[in-house]
Amino acid sequence: MSRPVTKKPAAKGEYIETDSGNKVSRRSAITGTANITLGGRTVIMADVVLRGDLHSTRPTASSSGKEGTPTSISIGKCTVISTGSVLKPPCRMSRGVPNFYPMKIGDNVFIGPNCVISAIAISSHVHIGANVTIHAFAVIKENVKILPNTVVPSAMVIAPGSVVGGRPAQIVGEVGEGWGVSGGGAGNGLGVGGGGEEKWVEGGDLRELVRSIK
Amino acid sequence: MAQAFPYTYYACNCFDSNTSGKRAAAVLQEAADEDEGTFDPRSPRANYQLYPLEHLLYCEDCQQIRCPRCQIEETLNWYCPSCLFEVPSSVVKSDGNRCNRSCFSCPLCTSPMQTFSLDPTGESGPPFILECQYCRWSTVEIGIEFEKGQGISAQLARIGNGGKPLPSHKERDKERERRKELEARKRDGRELFSPSTETTHTDKDEGPPSHDDLFASLSAFYKSQVESQTSASPFSSHDINFSSPSAYSRIMNLYSTSGPKKKQRPKPTAMREAASALEGLTLHDPSADTAAIERLKRDGWASTISPAQKRAQPNPSVRFTSDLRPLATLLCTKRSKRCRSCRQILTKPEAKITSTRYKIKLLALNHIPRLSIRALASDTPVPGSSRPPAKVFDYNALKPGIPTHFLFHMSNPLFDPIKVTLATPSTTPGKVQSRVTILCPQFDVGANTDIWDDALNMPAKRGSLLSDQAPQIEAGKIWDRGRNWTSVAVEIVPGFLDESARVEAETPGRGGPLEEDDDVLEIPVFVRIEYEADTGADERGLVDSKGGKGEKEKREEAFWTVVGVGRIKGS
Ligand SMILES: [Zn+2]
Ligand SMILES: [Zn+2]
Ligand SMILES: [Zn+2]
Ligand SMILES: [Zn+2]
Repeated sequence: MSRPVTKKPAAKGEYIETDSGNKVSRRSAITGTANITLGGRTVIMADVVLRGDLHSTRPTASSSGKEGTPTSISIGKCTVISTGSVLKPPCRMSRGVPNFYPMKIGDNVFIGPNCVISAIAISSHVHIGANVTIHAFAVIKENVKILPNTVVPSAMVIAPGSVVGGRPAQIVGEVGEGWGVSGGGAGNGLGVGGGGEEKWVEGGDLRELVRSIK
Repeated sequence: MAQAFPYTYYACNCFDSNTSGKRAAAVLQEAADEDEGTFDPRSPRANYQLYPLEHLLYCEDCQQIRCPRCQIEETLNWYCPSCLFEVPSSVVKSDGNRCNRSCFSCPLCTSPMQTFSLDPTGESGPPFILECQYCRWSTVEIGIEFEKGQGISAQLARIGNGGKPLPSHKERDKERERRKELEARKRDGRELFSPSTETTHTDKDEGPPSHDDLFASLSAFYKSQVESQTSASPFSSHDINFSSPSAYSRIMNLYSTSGPKKKQRPKPTAMREAASALEGLTLHDPSADTAAIERLKRDGWASTISPAQKRAQPNPSVRFTSDLRPLATLLCTKRSKRCRSCRQILTKPEAKITSTRYKIKLLALNHIPRLSIRALASDTPVPGSSRPPAKVFDYNALKPGIPTHFLFHMSNPLFDPIKVTLATPSTTPGKVQSRVTILCPQFDVGANTDIWDDALNMPAKRGSLLSDQAPQIEAGKIWDRGRNWTSVAVEIVPGFLDESARVEAETPGRGGPLEEDDDVLEIPVFVRIEYEADTGADERGLVDSKGGKGEKEKREEAFWTVVGVGRIKGS
């Protein structure tokens, strides 16, 4: 495993922490901040690109009646977006005009480094490996593991509990009943003790991981 | 796919079929009896008995780990992984295990296919096609277009490649009856031909019957055979011979909606086989082969399909890309699992397709301590981050011949303290021999407490309990200890890759030229735990944590694990 060259961390510390505990790297590239929601304790690492500016341009006749700012990317709680990943809401041409659809990402989702994501929805407890590409309008359900270097074709629905890999992605297995359950004890990941051990597991509660990122 | 180091796999005791169902004590006894009791992670059998802890279940009645091999699966329901709709088992039985809600995958690349309009006016009207957005294959290439954007499955069932209409089931049956009558009349009119000459010129005019035609004819033929037999003789049904009606009706039931006939089966008088094309007999036609060869000459290999593509097709005899059909999505199942020896339910998911919860889930990781390893000289890196930790240990380049210190970390999920004994062979099995010494093979691990206790005491109790003294590497002493975990130091001297030739000379059969993954350093570790548990209080949820009033019962558990340390660097 090769590591990227070390860059000098910013003098003030790598992350800006919001009131709800979101940690956003000073070196991330976020456009259209008003169209992005973060659920709290979510981490956006360096060199991550969030294209919040790509929101729906359709006149929204919303039921509530108010003309609010459209959401283009919403991310849940304790989700980690690793270095160099790009999140771009999916786009469909209608009558010659590109129209963007909002992207929704759940809680405790881990997105590995250098991914390109255009899914319409990623549910909770999903683990995405490094260098994964997810094409437009793909739907990733709960408890899914996407192996590194996978390409998920557009509009693919990945059923809960699947392990997928390959180009294009195919179901290669099931995550098993123990997915996301922290080892070493009952409870939500609090049962495992220090000693330099990882206090989080793939698909599990990422609170400890978020806490360790500084 | 390469597994990231380090890792730990657990061996299920069922690997030796004799030991399944035995208690830990018996396994231990056996291990003690055997001189060569060391588990060899490189034996071909090991592939079928090693699992990550997350994939193992635990039977509380047998007090044993249960792996996929010693579980029984029961299908709860069927569903389509693409549209996530449940499919009733009766429909699965009649229509097969594919989705009929217009979910299709690409016959070339397996990606999902989407419906698109080819409307020249741009008004998304007919005609419609199915297209793969990944490789851009579409039904246009096999000459199929649809009139409606909905109900693609039904439309596709009626259109053959090239756009010719396909007969429905009923039409097929009618056509067959008509021809049979025709044939019968012919036969009455003339002298009886021998059956072979009769079959050869049945439908010369229309080319060979399609795969579906043949299946329908064969199915109808066997059905009639079974029916003519069942009404006849009154003998018992229990013999399932080849060519017996009961065997046929069993097979037929696999393909039909009607339930198995409960009637007593008659004694078989051997049934005859299909003897004409109308009964589903196909005779090999050499001209088809010649045509295929001609086509290969003309269009080249590019017009043929790969074995994987061919295997995925419903008709197993297709050869060319022009014969491909979009693949209806294969269904998935939700399953519950039982212990193979005592039938206790181990996991039971909620029946609803969209639910990911379980009603019952007995995981090994709640019953078996977790053993993990890491290099002493290393920080845990933050995954996904570009900033490397201060000290990085490269598990993919272990230095041969240099004693390196690692930590075995044992964490206890049980609510009782455990006594642990670890054992490893002093040199690892396999061609490259590495030396392994566990400095403190016997130690205690504290009890797990429930999360509320933990949350309340968090700042004080989370970390090390030995903070007053700096940890040190010393034989017989543990490295560090926390509330429900203990770590001990291990000294590993990775072997030399080029020494296997010398090893071969000393002990023939062990050395020899290195093959793939021979440089992976894996250590078999035998784990034995002993603890005292409250008798009759297995359901931990019901016992209050103070417990106390129940009698204590001594329990022990033993199993092999394989710890993958890393890859030895070549010189
Ligand atoms: Zn087993
Ligand atoms: Zn479907
Ligand atoms: Zn395709
Ligand atoms: Zn059992």
